[in-house]
Amino acid sequence: MMAFSEDDIALAAEYALGTLDADERAEAEAKMSIDKDFAAMVEAWQHKLGVLNQMVGSVEPRPEVWNKIKSAISLSEAQAALVLPETPRPVASEALEPPAVADTSNVVRLSAQARRWRNVATFATAIAAALIAVIAVGVYQPDLLPGAIRPKPRTQVVEVKTPSAPTPRSAQYVAVLQKEGGSPAFILTVDAATRNFTVRKVGAAAEPGKSFELWLISDKLPRPRSLGVIGNGDFTARPVLASYDSDVINNATYAVTVEQAGGSADGVPHSAPVFTGKLIETVPPAAPAR
Amino acid sequence: MLTPAELVWLIAAVAKGDEAAFERLYAATRAKLFGVVLRILRRQDLAEEVIQETYVKIWNGAGQFNPGLSSPITWMASIARNRAIDVVRKRGELSIEEEPAAMEVAADSPDPLARREMSEELKRLLECVGRLEPDRQKLVLLAYYNGWSREQLAAKFETPVNTVKTWLRRSMMDIRECLGL
Repeated sequence: MMAFSEDDIALAAEYALGTLDADERAEAEAKMSIDKDFAAMVEAWQHKLGVLNQMVGSVEPRPEVWNKIKSAISLSEAQAALVLPETPRPVASEALEPPAVADTSNVVRLSAQARRWRNVATFATAIAAALIAVIAVGVYQPDLLPGAIRPKPRTQVVEVKTPSAPTPRSAQYVAVLQKEGGSPAFILTVDAATRNFTVRKVGAAAEPGKSFELWLISDKLPRPRSLGVIGNGDFTARPVLASYDSDVINNATYAVTVEQAGGSADGVPHSAPVFTGKLIETVPPAAPAR
Repeated sequence: MLTPAELVWLIAAVAKGDEAAFERLYAATRAKLFGVVLRILRRQDLAEEVIQETYVKIWNGAGQFNPGLSSPITWMASIARNRAIDVVRKRGELSIEEEPAAMEVAADSPDPLARREMSEELKRLLECVGRLEPDRQKLVLLAYYNGWSREQLAAKFETPVNTVKTWLRRSMMDIRECLGL
């Protein structure tokens, strides 16, 4: 994170507070669009101050408002349909019924988790993508890396080896599931041909009495599907993805939640996703074995 | 109100174009967001317009929600609040004198919460705000809750705009230091 001038800091803070005039707001927005660090600072302020909204009373808008939103959205939907003729079929409305967590202790626990999780600065998506690329090349084709970033013994993420497939021929997908502080917590590798997946644990350990559980979230599925509890060992390999088609696997979001020891008993997640990531194709099917 | 975790799942589904999830997200959050923008705009019609724009933006931008940076409700409320502030600033300020009824609302303090209902983050922020001089505490909270401009704040505190500007800046820097931002 680069250092900002006091003027920049004040601009970000006052943008979030809302006291800038129209011209200054435009200036701040222009700055946000070209300077990621500045945008992140504004976002941090918005988040810090946003908790004040907890004290604002709720007021119901009139029902017409929803109708207008719905029609505005179906307009933009129609445009999207031109680009993607096969829009996913709608999900049944009861499908996303949230888990019935009503007792207070649970709610407190959840919000505490959510807080911990959102306090954390994570990588920007671009950085994550770059990281995945480095990991992928490092895993499968270390010789391709320029000397300066070739795996060194101390960069453990680059030394990830899939136990079973040293020279993969089918397409390989990798998702970095990010952890607090921005470094990866789990690296998920999926072999497109066998649909076996391997989760490599990179440092994170579940609290005593808790388990990490991996979930697949897809618009093709009515609710998050458990891919099982992540074991305590360095690697957890499972064939459970075999029952999903490749479109689902490739486009899903993978999320890790904290569940009771042994995993969610009722098949629904009970915490906010602590680590999430999406698959990125890293080794095309035709890649020559090295 | 759904838990933050449930809202995250809903936003993830909305990002994939799930209309049913969007309706549930709207149902769970509309009253809070409307409350936030109505305080700032103080006019039902303007507040409804802003809410419409906000949810269309949420529908289109759900994929950009980064759960690592913000909570779902804070993210959504920021979109709504920013839009509301843009509207009041561009309208060249809703004059306080023009809208005496609005003035009453504005003078109200927001719903006090029992301390146990406050999140840790809110307690921490209020602790930092509480370290400011009493006038400046009020200044910051009125600016946030009512979306007042420096001119409106200057009128309220019967002080020159430049003084308000200095106070605001100093206050935000103090809060920043206190929060360790």
